[in-house]
Amino acid sequence: MEPSKEPTLNLLSSKDFVPEKYVRDLSQSLVGGPELRRLRKKIQALYEETNNNLKRNVYHNYMQFIDTAKEISHLESEMYQLSHLLSEQKALLAALSTTSILGDETPMITGAENKNDASERGDENRQKLASILEKVEGCKELLEVPGRTYLHEGDLLEVDPVDNNTIKTVHAYLFTDGFMTTYRNTNNRGLMKYVFEVMYELGSLAVVNVRDIGNNKHQFKLLIFPDTRVFQCTASSSKKEWLDKFDQAKKARLTQEQQKRESIVEKSPSRSASIESPSFNPFEDMEEDVGTIHPEWFIEIPEELDVCVAQRHFEEALIFLQKSKDYITQFVNTNGQPDHVIIDIQRKVELRHNNLTEVLMKELEVNPDKSQQGGLRAARRAVRLLNQLGRSTQSCDLFLKLCSSILKTQCKRVKRECSTAMYVRHLSSVVFTNMCHMTEEFLRAFPSSSSCSSAYVVWASNELSLFTSHFIKQVFMPQTSLSTLTECVVLVRSQCERLCSFGVDLCYQLDGALRTPLMQALKDTRDKSIEVAKLRALEDKWIPMNLRSKTGLARFLLQYSEMGLKLDDYVTGDIWIQLTNSTLVFAKLYLTLLNDCLQLETTELLHTINEVLYDVFEAQVRHVESSLRNEKQVEQRKFITKNADFLLVILQDLCQKKYKETIGFECESLHKLKKEYSALIKGVSPTSRSTKTKYSSEFL
Amino acid sequence: MSKKPTAQPALHKVIMVGSGGVGKSALTLQFMYDEFVEDYEPTKADSYRKKILLDGEDVQIDILDTAGQEDYAAIRDNYFRSGEGFLCIFSITEDESFQATQEFREQILRVKNDENIPFLLVGNKSDLEDRRKVSFQEASERAKQWGVPYVETSAKTREHVDKVFYDLMREIRARKMEENKTNNGRGKDKSKKKKLKCTIL
Repeated sequence: MEPSKEPTLNLLSSKDFVPEKYVRDLSQSLVGGPELRRLRKKIQALYEETNNNLKRNVYHNYMQFIDTAKEISHLESEMYQLSHLLSEQKALLAALSTTSILGDETPMITGAENKNDASERGDENRQKLASILEKVEGCKELLEVPGRTYLHEGDLLEVDPVDNNTIKTVHAYLFTDGFMTTYRNTNNRGLMKYVFEVMYELGSLAVVNVRDIGNNKHQFKLLIFPDTRVFQCTASSSKKEWLDKFDQAKKARLTQEQQKRESIVEKSPSRSASIESPSFNPFEDMEEDVGTIHPEWFIEIPEELDVCVAQRHFEEALIFLQKSKDYITQFVNTNGQPDHVIIDIQRKVELRHNNLTEVLMKELEVNPDKSQQGGLRAARRAVRLLNQLGRSTQSCDLFLKLCSSILKTQCKRVKRECSTAMYVRHLSSVVFTNMCHMTEEFLRAFPSSSSCSSAYVVWASNELSLFTSHFIKQVFMPQTSLSTLTECVVLVRSQCERLCSFGVDLCYQLDGALRTPLMQALKDTRDKSIEVAKLRALEDKWIPMNLRSKTGLARFLLQYSEMGLKLDDYVTGDIWIQLTNSTLVFAKLYLTLLNDCLQLETTELLHTINEVLYDVFEAQVRHVESSLRNEKQVEQRKFITKNADFLLVILQDLCQKKYKETIGFECESLHKLKKEYSALIKGVSPTSRSTKTKYSSEFL
Repeated sequence: MSKKPTAQPALHKVIMVGSGGVGKSALTLQFMYDEFVEDYEPTKADSYRKKILLDGEDVQIDILDTAGQEDYAAIRDNYFRSGEGFLCIFSITEDESFQATQEFREQILRVKNDENIPFLLVGNKSDLEDRRKVSFQEASERAKQWGVPYVETSAKTREHVDKVFYDLMREIRARKMEENKTNNGRGKDKSKKKKLKCTIL
């Protein structure tokens, strides 16, 4: 047996090791199980050893593994960042290109020239120009000329005008106002395929068709003093196309310029005369004038604006803006159309204008980091400036947002420590005082703008909704008594009325918001009162009330007379009142209820109030009624009747009087009640009364 | 295309000016191809080049046939700037075209800034004697006043066609030699440069 047959690490890891062959050899040379089993064990051991080695290796290089993994994740995040930056930059560039293009849409620039240019054509053109911009290095100004439209492009071979030798290949573009030549970018990197060479103004570009003679085929010449450039096309058709396009562009330009010139001549005949020579020459008046000299301050305005904004001299910036605008309008008025300097400045100024607006809007923005120390006063300046910039809608929006945020923080400061009424008093005072203040501030900032006013009204109504929903949550709880509720509601109402002095009447909205919870509260109170009346009825022994002492009686009488009930007629002896405790307690409670109801009264609630007043009163009267029915003793019946008389006459009259004082008329439902139960007063047992009422009275 | 890297024959640049329809292109085509084109189609701007023998010397003539109806003064200026000699054409059958020569003359002088620029006043359509509106004398007087020769041509009969071109080229050549002399044999380049300066001024 060859020693190589013994499995070793060296053997197994050698390059020319073939498992099949090895196994075959083994099975050929080895006979019997034990030998094979021994080999198998050995291989197993080898396997385990290798495994361990691998683990150990991993362990040894553990730190390296971790480092690498870290590095990779680092790299990944960096790539993410990079891609984010790139996409941001892309968006920025896109925005930039659109802004500079959008600048073209200012009414002054477009003028009469491109009116018939459909907007989609304009878009197409813009895209085309942008794509040229991407392809050609060094022609950034390409997009800066308003009204420039792409017409044609193509590869041309430039040849020497004298000896007709090839010079170079150019890629040429034709626009409505000029002819641009570019040559191939030699350091061929990126998208920039061509390098800008020169742009010829179409108005002075003499295009000459070169007649085909000999080898000079498909050529045309450009005469631009002192240059003469000869271009060779690939075919006569392409040359024809070029010449046609040139012609077309020139013609379009000519008609355009004629229109313009006509308007200029109409407006200022003196100007052209002063510039041109006095002799009228049909050629000379076509000369392009070099352009008027603009005052230095006007040229420098963009820079001045930058400085002003940086130093936060916003007012000065505004003055500069106005000055430049005035100058441009004046220039356009006298000269008919803005020249390129004007357009350039105008665009720059426009950018600064937007920048200024943005800065000012930032000022107004609600920011958690910013202190609200100054309150609205601090916002005055920015608001005023924004208004002057013609951005009153935005400033109004921001101003109101600021108000909301101030209001919110102010409300948060009101701590809920003492009674509900106190809390509501504080809170509503804070809310409405602030709202009043803000209204004042608002009226000062936006004195006469209907759109702003409407925004304000919407805002105020929103704030009120916020407040009422909070108010309802805080106040309308089952355990709150109607009196407390009434107190709170009355408080809020009176606060809300403060706004009326500014012409903002939100009371209706407030009442509307409170109507449903109030109705609920009234009904709850009714149920509660009826419940209490029932309990009292169970304990009613029908005995006169004993006040125990003279002073006690005097105090009691005073207490009731303060409520408007004269009880002196019912006094017997020194300490007795000929009414039951139940009747007297009811009278007191009922008057409180009535008071609350009358304070809460709104037209919408009146129906509910009437119902409540009726139901509560009826519960008590029923008790009297049922007692009378079950009473046989004459003396006692008389006493009960006296109580009934007190309730239905004295108390009712007082209630009606109070009701009328507030509402203006007497309460229908109480009248009805009195009529229904008038028999009681005469001491008649109400057995004759309809059974229905009897049964229902027993339910109570 | 680089067929002649060796010395090029002298190139004389001639410019045809004049109102529309006076026969600038007809004259040019007659001179170039010995043919008369009856149909009228307004020229935009064509350029021709031809090798000819001028007094035993090989020269090249470059003719710029301008558009009579060019609308842009600036473009016209560029045409004129590129020229070394001018054939100012009018039609003897049309007084307006004759009057227009005054303007062309003035404009050329303004652009070239040179009173002695090679210049020929050419009255075309001499074959249409019966429809003559501009007398020979009237035209000669104007030419005399300008100090330029006056020639009457007919593109149709080829009368004096070669003469106007050759005369003008001789003037151009004489002018160039004169300039060479003043520059003391500094060569053509120098003269070119000087010419440039003049025109810029």
